[in-house]
Amino acid sequence: MASFTERMAFVLVMALCLSGALAVDRGNFKTCDQSAFCKRQRALKPGESPYRALLETMELTNTRLTLQLINDNNKVRLLLELYRLQGNITRVKINELKPLKPRFEVPDVLVREPPTEPLSLLSQDENGVVLSLGAESQRVIVSARPFRLDIMEGRDVLMSLNSRGLLAFEHLRMRKDTQADSEAEKKEEVDPANPAETTKDEDDKDEDGMWEETFKSHTDGKPNGPSAISLDFSLPGVEHVYGIPEHAETLRLKTTDNGDPYRLYNLDVFQYELFNPMALYGAVPVMLAHNSQRTTGIFWLNAAETWVDISSNTAGKTVFGKMLDYVQGSSETPQTDVRWISESGIIDVFIMLGPTPKDVFSQYASLTGTQSFPPLSSLAYHQCRWNYNDQEDVKLVDAGFDEHDIPYDFIWLDIEHTDGKRYFTWDPHKFATPKEMLQGIMDKKRKMVAIVDPHIKVDSNYKIHNEIRSRGFYIKNKDGGDYEGWCWPGSAGYPDFTCADMRSWWASMFAYDQYGGSMENLYTWNDMNEPSVFNGPEVTMHKDAMHGAWEHRDVHNLYGFYVQMATAEGLIQRSGGVERPFVLTRAFFAGSQRYGAVWTGDNAAEWDHLKISIPMCLSLGLVGISFCGADVGGFFKSPSSELLVRWYQTGAYQPFFRAHAHLDTPRREPWLFGPENTALIREAVRQRYTLLPYWYLQFYQAHCTGQPVMRPLWVEYPQDPATFAIDDEFLIGTDLLVHPVTEEGARGVTAYLPGKNEVWFDVNTFQKHNGAQNLYIPVTMSSIPVFQRGGSIIPRKLRVRRSSTCMEHDPYTLFVALNPQRTAEGELYIDDGHTFNYEKKEFIHRKLFFANNILSSINLAPDAKFSTQSWIERVIILGASKPSKVTLQTADGQESQLEFEFDSSMSVLTLRKPGMNAGEDWKVMLQ
Amino acid sequence: MRFYVFIASVFCCAFADSRKIRGISSSYKRFYRERKSFLCIDGSKLIPFEQVNDDYCDCEDGSDEPGTSACPRGRFYCTNLGFRPHYIPSSRVNDGICDCCDASDEYNSHIRCQKTCWNLGQRERAYVEGQMRTLDEGLRLKQQLIEEGVLLWREKQAQLRELQQKAEDLHLKVEEHKKRKHQADQHKEQTLKTLQAGGAGSRQHNNTASGLFQFLDNNKDGSITVDEVQARVVTIHDEKRLLSENEAVALLGGGRQMDLTMFRHTLWDTLTKGDNVKIRDTNAALDSPVVEDPLLMAADRAAKWEATNLKKVEEAYETVNMEISDLQQKLAIDYGTDWEFLFLNSQCYKLQVYEYTYTLCPFNQVTQENTAGTQVSLGTWGMWAGEPKNQYSQMVYENGEPCWQGGSRTATVTLTCGTETALRSVKEPSKCQYIMDFQTPVACQPVLKQRGIHSEL
Repeated sequence: MASFTERMAFVLVMALCLSGALAVDRGNFKTCDQSAFCKRQRALKPGESPYRALLETMELTNTRLTLQLINDNNKVRLLLELYRLQGNITRVKINELKPLKPRFEVPDVLVREPPTEPLSLLSQDENGVVLSLGAESQRVIVSARPFRLDIMEGRDVLMSLNSRGLLAFEHLRMRKDTQADSEAEKKEEVDPANPAETTKDEDDKDEDGMWEETFKSHTDGKPNGPSAISLDFSLPGVEHVYGIPEHAETLRLKTTDNGDPYRLYNLDVFQYELFNPMALYGAVPVMLAHNSQRTTGIFWLNAAETWVDISSNTAGKTVFGKMLDYVQGSSETPQTDVRWISESGIIDVFIMLGPTPKDVFSQYASLTGTQSFPPLSSLAYHQCRWNYNDQEDVKLVDAGFDEHDIPYDFIWLDIEHTDGKRYFTWDPHKFATPKEMLQGIMDKKRKMVAIVDPHIKVDSNYKIHNEIRSRGFYIKNKDGGDYEGWCWPGSAGYPDFTCADMRSWWASMFAYDQYGGSMENLYTWNDMNEPSVFNGPEVTMHKDAMHGAWEHRDVHNLYGFYVQMATAEGLIQRSGGVERPFVLTRAFFAGSQRYGAVWTGDNAAEWDHLKISIPMCLSLGLVGISFCGADVGGFFKSPSSELLVRWYQTGAYQPFFRAHAHLDTPRREPWLFGPENTALIREAVRQRYTLLPYWYLQFYQAHCTGQPVMRPLWVEYPQDPATFAIDDEFLIGTDLLVHPVTEEGARGVTAYLPGKNEVWFDVNTFQKHNGAQNLYIPVTMSSIPVFQRGGSIIPRKLRVRRSSTCMEHDPYTLFVALNPQRTAEGELYIDDGHTFNYEKKEFIHRKLFFANNILSSINLAPDAKFSTQSWIERVIILGASKPSKVTLQTADGQESQLEFEFDSSMSVLTLRKPGMNAGEDWKVMLQ
Repeated sequence: MRFYVFIASVFCCAFADSRKIRGISSSYKRFYRERKSFLCIDGSKLIPFEQVNDDYCDCEDGSDEPGTSACPRGRFYCTNLGFRPHYIPSSRVNDGICDCCDASDEYNSHIRCQKTCWNLGQRERAYVEGQMRTLDEGLRLKQQLIEEGVLLWREKQAQLRELQQKAEDLHLKVEEHKKRKHQADQHKEQTLKTLQAGGAGSRQHNNTASGLFQFLDNNKDGSITVDEVQARVVTIHDEKRLLSENEAVALLGGGRQMDLTMFRHTLWDTLTKGDNVKIRDTNAALDSPVVEDPLLMAADRAAKWEATNLKKVEEAYETVNMEISDLQQKLAIDYGTDWEFLFLNSQCYKLQVYEYTYTLCPFNQVTQENTAGTQVSLGTWGMWAGEPKNQYSQMVYENGEPCWQGGSRTATVTLTCGTETALRSVKEPSKCQYIMDFQTPVACQPVLKQRGIHSEL
């Protein structure tokens, strides 16, 4: 009893602490109940669908099927379009047949109009239609009453739409003349004894929040009235769903029955809380569903505020309960039901049918494109702070890295570098000679990023503002004037990035002659592009602001996507299309992967924030955005030196590796925590640099194929349920498994090594471990548990220098980790590291292959041309046996003996200085 | 100095040319004698001598590759003839950035490095000479300031003693005045009591004939008049009633006035007997007449006078004591071994940085003022905070204005050697944490002289 009360007291104290000093002010953000359309839609009960398919209206052409749906309650007709897309994707589009005015359809996110495949009619009767989806005996069954779609493969239902009858489509309507009338009418009709009756006809009635909605002091006038849409999806056999970032949430999504749905609405959330469904800075409306047989995906292409409900018939069942079901032969298949609700627009959903995780990634990439191929240097370490105060400060920090022999590639300038928060300008005192500063950085082969936010100071002496205003490029308020909100510069306008002309003008502002003080080693950071409006509803823009003909409501989640798109285009254009851009964004949408990197926003220097950086980036990777990172050290608050070191160790193995800190925190450059911690951080950063060739290859592959760089284990081990919920470790590509230490005072970590017939090598000790086991690894402060998969070859550059550019011509060391079959393979990709010339086939792409005691390098791109000075300085074969002789055969057929060393205790064979050029054919034979 | 340079160049050239071991200093030559094999300097491994500087790292300690970038822990020796030789990490060899001024680190890269050692050396020498001059001048000034400091210290000590003497004197004075005030107070009290006794029939101060006569003789003209009798004599039966003129004349023996001699023999007896008349009771009716009583008034005046005097002296004493404690507090601060920092106390130094003016008043406070004139405290004197070896190299000012996210502003002042005393730079690397560079001759240290270019060439 005593211990119980003690614990309660502790919980209470904890709760008080959490709610006090550092937590989001939840009251600033809407719950579903406070969002009129969400409340309306969520109130609908399943099993009462008023929609019926009018089979007689069906038209089937070579590329699509169209069919009308009717709402039997109000007789409003919808038009269903169904497409079979290339690559095992089915697209379902539902719009009003005759809307009062056009409804918004998201442009620019799809890389092209997706190519279709023919559909064919298999059978038809008065109850429905069966269509063939082409390959693999896939069919779609359209049921008429109520309307429902089932996608089948063989006898299995893969996914059903409107199976719970939650399809809802609020048709556009004229506003009833007076509010009073409708109120009266409503009172008359509401019969508390029979709520079901009233729900049925509610389509035709006005409800609170349909024509106007007030949240806190902000009123959202809704001239178009209600326009929400909703649809449910059933996923039989599925217990694990992932994706729909951005949420500070575990990798595996939770059911939402007992709380709010997951919300997708780009918001600048001050000091966000962990493990909840609140919306954050970005939104990618893509969900993946997985079980050991199949992976599928749902891409809900809608840019309005969206809520996603998840429920499951197995949720809440204990392991014991599940076992009982199994033993008793309880036949209920697990099933997850998902329901999407959006405020406006149309239903346009892409059902990606896998079947493998890789297939789903390719399918999604075929729709929205792949990760942009970043400059090599942007995969290295970034040093940021709000703010480096002046040029002198920049110089000192730069020198500090050299003094402490820690490499870095990018130093960043936050908002204070500008002249009064006027982007594209420099503070005339603190950054009086930016080119001199940039040249100094360039002399060290390093680069800089300066922030350019999309809020523009309203100031008639500011060129950018004047131009945007005179060109009419600002977003307008509902009365037609330029929308103004409060942000860093004070009163600010927001350029309408949804307008293509605006975007091309914006891009032109990055030209060297426009952006004074910029040079080719200056890159860009787009922050606050949700957009953040300090005095707006939920710290963002009023939904009734106007983007041309469309309301902000329709396009909200696209804004950040467009800002980054226009900025990246600007960086490309300024170099005449030669150089790859680097742009970091905070807000994002589906397709944002095409324009650069994202980070997880304003996190905090807390252990839980370090932990959640893993699932947050994994979730983004699953939906195409591979170039993800969290502020190393935590943005708000000040990390202990232990937390800082652990964060560097974790960040060194995440795609975007940048330290950042809030203005009010003490300085935390890596050398400020005593020589021991400096050494630990140096080592973590150096490990990143040695692995840059591998990282670069991963990004090249992500760019080519859409596969995520940082992967959950289940993606590579889809049939091993033990991996399905793991989010404290991850894979980089297929070959490196990382289980960073994210616990304070940790003495050890338990890593799950997947793969029944696999082996894994500790990259530090070369110790071999079997797969399919939980491995306890004792750790010290210097430990970063990382394992290389047996069967892989990873090229590294071990000569870590000041910056990645300094390492360009350095030789490679190949780490060949043999699997139990004594084979291994890997790839090596080399190009100039920064231009688009790889598109002109100027690169080296080789396959490294070890089998039958022969390690060989094979050209994977014979039509590509590039030469490198880099050579192979060392080959380390893990799990090898001692050869008697090692012979190198080069492209010209010459043979030479190689010196080698063999460590029999760890079975490590090191070949000394083979010396062949990394771009050529060669063979090394062990005898 | 030139001599050292010459020697150094002879050594380096001679060895470097004959052995061709790139990247080592002459003192390491002995490890690289050309033999069949090379022993890693840490003794960990024996390798063929051809593998020294062959661009492959064989030794754990990097000693086999002093001239290449092959070893992660290696270092490369820049000879830098004409300038300072120094080591760079091996990773900076052939990285396309010129690190050694003799260009020796970029022997196999795309970049063409200028040989800048002579220029740098010249500049360095000029700089060092400048520094030396500054140091010499600084030390000379410092000596002066030390002397002044000693004088100032003595002066302050003398001042303290003087003040203490003054305090002592004042203390005595205070005691004396306290006594005097006490006496005056007592006298006043007595006068008052007599007066009261007179009124109440007490004879304390009226127990002599002349005393009572004087008491009755209100205007002190040597005779008692009708008025005077009326004023102070009443019948025992009705104290409140004023005597009539006739009654008074009767008491005066039929005349309108009476002198002391006559009083002794007539009215005195009557009053002392007290059968019919008595002196009016002071308690009952003499409120105003007593205040107006000249004796009492005189006594009161005297008491007040003494009180004022005492207060003045006490105030003076307090002031002196405060001065003493101020001075003692000042003198309790550590002004360096020779009181060389003493002169900074009571001085203030200003510097404008961007939109702010910073003021450092050593041993007192640091403030920041913006162009609008708003002043913010960045801290008050805290302590010396230099490293143990030289604790006088840094000052800390603490508990300035509170910061937005908790804590308060602090300023850390680093003292550097210069010929003038001035605030040189102010930075705020983190919010509310100010760093100042304060130059003054007293920060000049003779040890500096041994550093610099001399020993390293």
